[in-house]
Amino acid sequence: MVQEISNEIAIEVKDVWKKFRLYHEKTYSLKERIIFWGRSKAEDFWALKGINLTIPKGSTVGLIGRNGSGKSTLLKIISRILYPTRGEVKINGRVSTLLELGAGFHPDFTGRENIFLNASILGLSRKEIKERLDDIIAFSELGDFIDNPVRNYSSGMYMRLGFAVAVHVDPEILLIDEVLAVGDLAFQEKCLAKIKELQKKGTTIILVTHSPKQIQDLCDLAVWLDKGEMKMQGSAIEVAEAYARYVSGKER
Amino acid sequence: MWQRIKEIYAYREMLKNLVSKELRARYKGSILGFFWTFFNPLLMLIVYSFVFSFVMRSGIKNYAMFLFVALLPWNYLSSSILQGAASLVQNASLIKKVYFPREVLPLSVVLANLINYLLSLLILMPALMLFKIRLTWALLAFPLVLLVETVLVASLTLLVSVGNVYFRDLEHITGVFMTAWFFLTPVVYSADTVPPNAKKFFSLNPAAHIIEAYRDIFYEGMWPDWKALLYVGLGCLILFWLSLLAFQRWQKDIAEEI
Ligand SMILES: Nc1ncnc2c1ncn2[C@@H]1O[C@H](COP(=O)(O)OP(=O)(O)OP(=O)(O)O)[C@@H](O)[C@H]1O
Ligand SMILES: [Mg+2]
Repeated sequence: MVQEISNEIAIEVKDVWKKFRLYHEKTYSLKERIIFWGRSKAEDFWALKGINLTIPKGSTVGLIGRNGSGKSTLLKIISRILYPTRGEVKINGRVSTLLELGAGFHPDFTGRENIFLNASILGLSRKEIKERLDDIIAFSELGDFIDNPVRNYSSGMYMRLGFAVAVHVDPEILLIDEVLAVGDLAFQEKCLAKIKELQKKGTTIILVTHSPKQIQDLCDLAVWLDKGEMKMQGSAIEVAEAYARYVSGKER
Repeated sequence: MWQRIKEIYAYREMLKNLVSKELRARYKGSILGFFWTFFNPLLMLIVYSFVFSFVMRSGIKNYAMFLFVALLPWNYLSSSILQGAASLVQNASLIKKVYFPREVLPLSVVLANLINYLLSLLILMPALMLFKIRLTWALLAFPLVLLVETVLVASLTLLVSVGNVYFRDLEHITGVFMTAWFFLTPVVYSADTVPPNAKKFFSLNPAAHIIEAYRDIFYEGMWPDWKALLYVGLGCLILFWLSLLAFQRWQKDIAEEI
């Protein structure tokens, strides 16, 4: 399903539809499925309806929309955590996804051990991890805590380590879902600086956010999703302004 | 398909880390730590030797050893499948948040159990010598038998793990099934005692041939039945291929089903 495509394009989303089945009572067991054969009630819910998107290499795209509009779903489909019901996605390059920081940390392992574990879950080889180890530790600013088990970390420290690992994967494509708001202000600044650095390096970035301002500051292009449909797509400034107008219109 | 196998290979570092996590977690917090790995088979050995030398005499010579050489590989098979059944469901949060080839999770369980089995050989070998069982060149066939068994174990573990996402009671059904399978496999008894008219049925059981092969090389000191091993090996390879295909197909929905 995921194939190589032309060099100029990083991501191509072609007519993607995603259906979720909403069960009132999910039957998980074989026994119940046999007993209630064909009687299990399920409604179909279309979380994405015919999304088309072409993202050129090196661009930063903002994804905006109300809660439940399908932003995270789209991101998960692009990162292959979910599969589309219809349509296809083509990817050109190594993807790293920041959905939740520190997913896969083992609480009893030290920060350093978790760097090895987490980076390997993101697909790095041992050699690649070793090369990046010092940078990751420096970026996380955890100091001596790096050799303590992560269950002793504060939630901010936990996320800092998670972010540090994820951005040092050196992905060609980085998908970020509302994780820029972690850590204290100083660390947020650092994350933004790192993102800008990656942009300069030519990394393609998709950023989910609720802030039109962040879109204007960071993105070249933006996509506005509404109830699973593409409401608007275009330059970051135009989309951000239209969305801001829409939101303030709602409030009034 | 090759693409998929290459991708799993690219995630070998993750596989390695999960295996060491698994092995470490199992003995975590115990004073003896890693020695538990040896302690378990050692205890098994002592109890069996005692019971079958003094309490329940068996007609089979060195029955404790007869049992031990078969029980260790059986445990490898059965604990891999039983632990592997839960491997995807247990890691639901990871599966929902990170992409990686999902095969890595059940395969890491198989590898951890494989390593445990290999370590238990460090108990088995001295025990065999202690019981004055002659070790022969037939031991050279061990890697091959182990390979065939591992292919079988990996296939079944893949299937059960992904099936368990959709039918959560599969884990328990598997438990019952494994008990039945255990008694239908010549682990506690010799294949020779199987009545002739049931032989055909028994020969359909791949585990029976594998266990027999282990017994041949460790206990009887003779080469395994090559023809049977070849058929079982080919069968297991086909099963492995089918399991990978089935897994690849069924894993697509697991992030939302889990
Ligand atoms: N696994 C799932 N099963 C069923 N429905 C789901 C599942 N995941 C998402 N949905 C539904 O799909 C819709 C889109 O969800 P999604 O998480 O993509 O929204 P979002 O745009 O990221 O919202 P938010 O701004 O709150 O993060 C929602 O209505 C949600 O209920
Ligand atoms: Mg979301």
